[in-house]
Amino acid sequence: MNALEFDILLPAFLAGLLVLATHIPFGMRVLQRGVIFADLAVAQIAGLGVVIAGLLDLADQPLLVQLIAAGSALCGAALLAWIERNAAEVKEAYIGLTFVLAASLGILLMSRDVLKDLLVGQILWVNNTQLIGTAVLSAVLLIVWRSLHGSPSHLVFYALFALAITASVQLVGIYLVFASLIVPALATHRLPQRRMAFAFGIGISGYVIGLLLSVWLDLPAGVAIVWAMAVVGLSTAILKRPG
Amino acid sequence: MKKILLIISSLLFTLQAHAALNVFACEPEWAALTQELAGDKVSLYTATGALQDPHRIEARPSLIAQARRANLVVCTGAELEVAWLPVVLRESGNNTVLPGSDGYFEAAQFVTMLEVPTRLDRGEGDVHALGNPHIQTDPRNFLPVAEALGKRLAQLDPGHAAHYQQRLAAFNQQWRAAIAKWEAQAAPLKGVAVVVQHKGFPYLSHWLGLNEVAALEPKPGMEPGAAHLAQVLNTLQKQPARMVLRAAYQNERPSEWIVQHAHIAAVALPYTVGGSDNAKDLYGLFDDTIARLLAGLQ
Repeated sequence: MNALEFDILLPAFLAGLLVLATHIPFGMRVLQRGVIFADLAVAQIAGLGVVIAGLLDLADQPLLVQLIAAGSALCGAALLAWIERNAAEVKEAYIGLTFVLAASLGILLMSRDVLKDLLVGQILWVNNTQLIGTAVLSAVLLIVWRSLHGSPSHLVFYALFALAITASVQLVGIYLVFASLIVPALATHRLPQRRMAFAFGIGISGYVIGLLLSVWLDLPAGVAIVWAMAVVGLSTAILKRPG
Repeated sequence: MKKILLIISSLLFTLQAHAALNVFACEPEWAALTQELAGDKVSLYTATGALQDPHRIEARPSLIAQARRANLVVCTGAELEVAWLPVVLRESGNNTVLPGSDGYFEAAQFVTMLEVPTRLDRGEGDVHALGNPHIQTDPRNFLPVAEALGKRLAQLDPGHAAHYQQRLAAFNQQWRAAIAKWEAQAAPLKGVAVVVQHKGFPYLSHWLGLNEVAALEPKPGMEPGAAHLAQVLNTLQKQPARMVLRAAYQNERPSEWIVQHAHIAAVALPYTVGGSDNAKDLYGLFDDTIARLLAGLQ
């Protein structure tokens, strides 16, 4: 690898590490609660906030747009917490419906293709401002998470989760957010011990291998990482299966 | 349900003022050209906005209703609207605007196309067998298109033929003068090296003599690989570019990335009428395009 390629991959790799730092513990909790698609719903609601900010001609004030996105995501979090408290037995149905409604409203309102920008990876376009902003946010979220010993109330959990997703979707795209959240947690959910270490191993290997494949074979980076992480996760699950 | 929507929307539209011809323009630049050539003799509808990618738009009942009442459909052609226009025209049930009939006008047929592929492979992303369809970035292309469109308007609305002839002559004269003015203003841009976000500017580069040294998204509409980006940065080290160009409707992040890595200026071009506050008509479109390119040189 030459210096130029390293220069391109390093910010993308750092973005991946930041996403993993919050998404692996959150992903384990998401899996345990059975709210796998909550991230899609929250990301879509945050995206809806960005679309509305654009319609209000606020697109040239990035900080305000971020506040609106975070605010919308927190409203989404409150909705998810309410669903979990009041309709626990059919919560997946409500969460899926929330996702579809938010996505459809986005299409109804928007005049340009923001949705595709959110879905397809943008990990190679990461800039330093985004990295620093997300690093600060991730640190705050992790400190709050730790201080609650990983067992906050519904509302606090969804609020932390919503803020993490809002930042990470803009950083790496929704496919990678979903993979970072679910693959490490799912691949290690039967491990009796050192689950966290294995989960981070899978996540980090996924980003490293995916980014290297993107350089060597000139593949789109985001989707290459999703597949690399899935293959590493599946292999780990098979090799380390109990009994 | 669709029928009810159609009836309601056609009722709404009959409330509009009655002009001689109803024109359905696929893109804002053709609506603007029709306006120049026809003035108040037509009622115009534009199917896509300046901030939409004309390759992909959502099919809406209003599109079909508008196609149904159209006397003339004016589009770029060259497969730019292939994803939605054939469906809209078929659903409209309006035989007078089907491809091949007098009510169907394709601008690309009157222009010398660039980037016509010698080999066709959909694996290369959004490629067009008939060449690059973004012909509206070279003002010289509007002259033959205006000539043909003016004749077509006169043919469809013979009662006002003299009116169309007169406006066409006036447009021809004014537009040629404007081109001369833009070319004089744009003299410093000749030979300037630029990066393009996607290959949407061959006609503009051809006109002004811009030197496109790299494209960030080699397959339009697809995220590039890291190897390609390394190659772009490599090229830029050997052959520094002054600016990176993108259309107003495109995501700004690839441009921002190359601005940080290669320290060049980012220039967002209106790309069509309505793409920026100053691009209110065809003249404004090129006034603003040249002004933004010159600002990128600073």
